[in-house]
Amino acid sequence: MRNETTDKDMLVIGGTRLRSRFFLGTGRYPSPAVMLMALEASGAEVVTFAVRRVNLECAEDDSILSHFADRKLIYLPNTSGAGNADEAVRIARLAREAGLGNWVKVEISANSRTLLPDPLETLRATERLVKEGFTVLPYASDDPVLCKRLEEAGAAAVMPGGAPIGTGLGLLNPYHLGLIAEEARVPIIVDAGLGAAADVAQAMELGADGILANTPVARARDPVAMAKAMRLALEAGRLSAQAGRIPPKRYATASSEANGVLFGSADADADSRRRPT
Amino acid sequence: MSNVNRCKLYVITGETYHPGRELLEVMESAIAGGADVVQLRDKDAPVRELLEKARALRELTRKHGVPLIVNDHPEIALAADADGVHLGQEDAPIAAARELLGPDRIVGISTHSIAQARAAERAGADYIGVGPVYPTATKPGRAAVTTSFVAAAAAEIRIPFFAIGGIHPGNAAEVLAAGARRLCAVSAVVGSPDPGAACRELRSLIERSERAASLGEAAPLGEGVNPGQAREVKEVKEVKKVKQVNEVKQVKEVTVNGVRRTTEAATLLELAAEFGLADKNAVAERNGRVARKAIWPITPLAGGDRIEFVQFVGGG
Repeated sequence: MRNETTDKDMLVIGGTRLRSRFFLGTGRYPSPAVMLMALEASGAEVVTFAVRRVNLECAEDDSILSHFADRKLIYLPNTSGAGNADEAVRIARLAREAGLGNWVKVEISANSRTLLPDPLETLRATERLVKEGFTVLPYASDDPVLCKRLEEAGAAAVMPGGAPIGTGLGLLNPYHLGLIAEEARVPIIVDAGLGAAADVAQAMELGADGILANTPVARARDPVAMAKAMRLALEAGRLSAQAGRIPPKRYATASSEANGVLFGSADADADSRRRPT
Repeated sequence: MSNVNRCKLYVITGETYHPGRELLEVMESAIAGGADVVQLRDKDAPVRELLEKARALRELTRKHGVPLIVNDHPEIALAADADGVHLGQEDAPIAAARELLGPDRIVGISTHSIAQARAAERAGADYIGVGPVYPTATKPGRAAVTTSFVAAAAAEIRIPFFAIGGIHPGNAAEVLAAGARRLCAVSAVVGSPDPGAACRELRSLIERSERAASLGEAAPLGEGVNPGQAREVKEVKEVKKVKQVNEVKQVKEVTVNGVRRTTEAATLLELAAEFGLADKNAVAERNGRVARKAIWPITPLAGGDRIEFVQFVGGG
């Protein structure tokens, strides 16, 4: 277990203690009511959202924040829509101006088809925002060296993607994600590309400290049920990781003693076709 | 620790330019005029005297929330609790100064070629001086690098750079047009009978250049300026502008959320009200800089301004 976690297994990011390791996105739900129910079911304390221009033709207060009134949440605005570090810094400053804290998820897409993050601009933005006093959680590709660089640049947590945003392809490179989690000295939150509860469990078993999900919850047939499934999978995966799995082996090992097996000859060990269970 | 990113007008002391006037009086006038970073440079003073000056300037600059940089002497910067040190190419290397000052203080260095600028950036300088752009009596015998070095630095150097060397209100526009976003002056300010007025002139040229840059479609997004102490002075100035504007309501063309519109609004608040945003949870940006809601009423709207009103929406 990392030293960021306490005896009670809390996750600590930028000095903030979190009971839940589930970060929930707030986009693309069928309705605000479903989103709020999914939030409840997920147990998430950290919610993400985006910064966009106000629609000047109909300036109703459709801000996502109006739905969160009187809830105790950590707000994690992202910089989606930014194509470079300058734009991400601008969005981060605007988000901070809303007065909801200084956390920011750096998200800089280099390619509109894959939305994969631009590693160089992400690193630049992280360096600058850390200097400006933000608690920076960069969304990054699942590259162990890059994730290390982001940590060194002062990221409060690093969020490698499992697969491109919204694809639901799961963890495309579990080997890298495992390495990232193993080497990290800040929390690792697996972000993007998760499809279902199994992916969440796998991420946690690989050693991740938490996960961020939006589309797989919001676009599931039953978002509330999926939010709950992922919460349970997260807990199961973390317990599983802590329990310590057996090493995989190529051939079978009987789970019962061979001695006293029925139908065997006196020298049972000579008969390899016997398969006691 | 002070952030050099938000500094635009760097003024260096030069007591030989103002015989008969006190160092503190001249520098306070410069700060009042908009100098937002000050450097103590005195190549002739003995160390003890330099330290006294550094301490006096520290008190002055702290009062006004302006960073203080000490030329050549990291140990005096430390002793006077200055914000950083400025090195020449012949001084101790950046790494040595950094080791002494730690990661939080500012380390800047003069550069006279793009190769030196690149090396400084790689070595971890927080900012560089780029010059001398024009021949200057402050650095006799050093060949001017011309605005072509300014353009080269603008194109590839990512840390802040201050164009320096013979810059005054009469030639600053040329330096800014070459790509400088920050200026440094010595004689044009401290040698002026009214250092504050010289600073105000230079600042307004910088601001005009920023506005022009933010209007150009291809212009890079501004790094912006942190809400900070420098703004206070500016706000006061802008209140004056608003008063003038209010007297004659003008129709102006501005870009709001990417769409060109005409408006009679004199302030950001009046513009927000036109869209029913005056009491909403919106956050605004004017010409690439956050405009906090508290200053909407005193933020003047000028023709060509680019305003963004943003809010939070669902996202992952």
